Amino acid sequence: MPPPLGDDPADREPVLNPITAVEAILRQPRRVMYQLRQPGAGRLISSMLFVTVACSLVYGVIVGSFSGGLQWWAAPVKISVGLLICALICLPSLYIFGCLSGAQVRVREMVGMVLGLLMLMTILLIGFAPVAWLFSQSTEQIVWMGVLHLLFFAVATGFGLRFLDAAFSHAQARSAVGLRTWVIIFVLVMLQMSTALRPLLGRSDDFLPTKKRFFLNHWGECIKDAERADRNRVND
Amino acid sequence: MTAQPAISNPREFRTLLSGEAATLADWTGHFDWRRIGAHVAVITMGAGLYGAAMGWWRDPLQALFVGIKLPLILLLTALGNALLNAMLAPLLGLNVTFRQSLAAVLMSFAIVAAILGAFSPLLAFAVWNAPPMMSDVKSTPVYGFIKLSHVVVIAFAGIVGNARLFQLLVQLGRSHTVARRVLVAWLAANLFFGSQLTWICRPLIGSPHLSVQFFREGAFKSNFFEDVSHTVTRFFDDWD
Repeated sequence: MPPPLGDDPADREPVLNPITAVEAILRQPRRVMYQLRQPGAGRLISSMLFVTVACSLVYGVIVGSFSGGLQWWAAPVKISVGLLICALICLPSLYIFGCLSGAQVRVREMVGMVLGLLMLMTILLIGFAPVAWLFSQSTEQIVWMGVLHLLFFAVATGFGLRFLDAAFSHAQARSAVGLRTWVIIFVLVMLQMSTALRPLLGRSDDFLPTKKRFFLNHWGECIKDAERADRNRVND
Repeated sequence: MTAQPAISNPREFRTLLSGEAATLADWTGHFDWRRIGAHVAVITMGAGLYGAAMGWWRDPLQALFVGIKLPLILLLTALGNALLNAMLAPLLGLNVTFRQSLAAVLMSFAIVAAILGAFSPLLAFAVWNAPPMMSDVKSTPVYGFIKLSHVVVIAFAGIVGNARLFQLLVQLGRSHTVARRVLVAWLAANLFFGSQLTWICRPLIGSPHLSVQFFREGAFKSNFFEDVSHTVTRFFDDWD
């Protein structure tokens, strides 16, 4: 059982701006968790939202650099808006799962926890950005780049969810089954969002797709297209 | 006397969902119109949003219709069986008043509706990602996925609602046996009435072959159980 939040004097230090918020979530996540429960948590939540949007926009530019053109601005906008919509869609079910498991968490705190998850995710993506940029400039294989970005997202999401899990452990929930179920839902929504807002990589005349697809179908099609292109290259 | 706080208070909403049986039993003991109104509001909002997500795939107008019909089904089931439920409870060993039994059923329906409402953005997202409803929709995996998602969400909400109702009945009657008996009786009555109401209120998801309408033609000319018996008879006739 982790010690109660606020026991350590370091937990009680206020988080005053976005830079302190980034530092706190990386080095002292308990400080963020404690501050989310305090009366003036709105400021921290705004900082977290700002960092999430800023970092996702920066990472989006790196994603867009693979194809250039329209994607220079479309990819950042889609990644940033897509992440926020995912959070918005999944937030009500997280609150319900929290309440059903007896967690003592207010809506505002829940919003803060989800923003903490997104903020940590996007900060880590910024860490991966130089590697992603290098590969974007040195390969033309769209499937390869897709897999690489998915891998970076998976690692970043893993750390983000670890923060959420730790924050939830202080909420006196009777069981973690609800949270585990929600994690599956959240990951599925994110994967589907990446398909719903395609193309994030590659070129297209349309900002949004005209054809609806399930993400596994889309991945399958991408792999088939890549194989076809490879075969054509060999034949030529 | 101090006024009872309404469920609009988020803490009370958490109490309702987390199933703190002692508090919920206290709520049913002190009948409060404001709280009943709040439960009705949660049912209207939660089931309404879920209904809208359900009907949206067929047509936005269908979303509006189902958004009205789904809360109606829940509320009419609670009201239509209120008298019967209140009579069954004392007969089966649970000494509660009419108001207490109605409040308990409304409470469990409010939990169901709150869960449905929370899942409605997810279902709406699934519908947004689905191709338009075409004539061959029933043979597509997307139709199967969306139908299955509805089954899973509604079953989950139903199980949680009934589990909370059972905890409340145990608290009220101080006996697991009595609570189980009353729950089974209430469930049977609600299922019987609710399935017919749902039958009348078709279409819910909707069909591309049929026009968008509030009630189907002949909605009041047949019943659910008649249709089930016809299906069973046809099955055995074909078997022969």
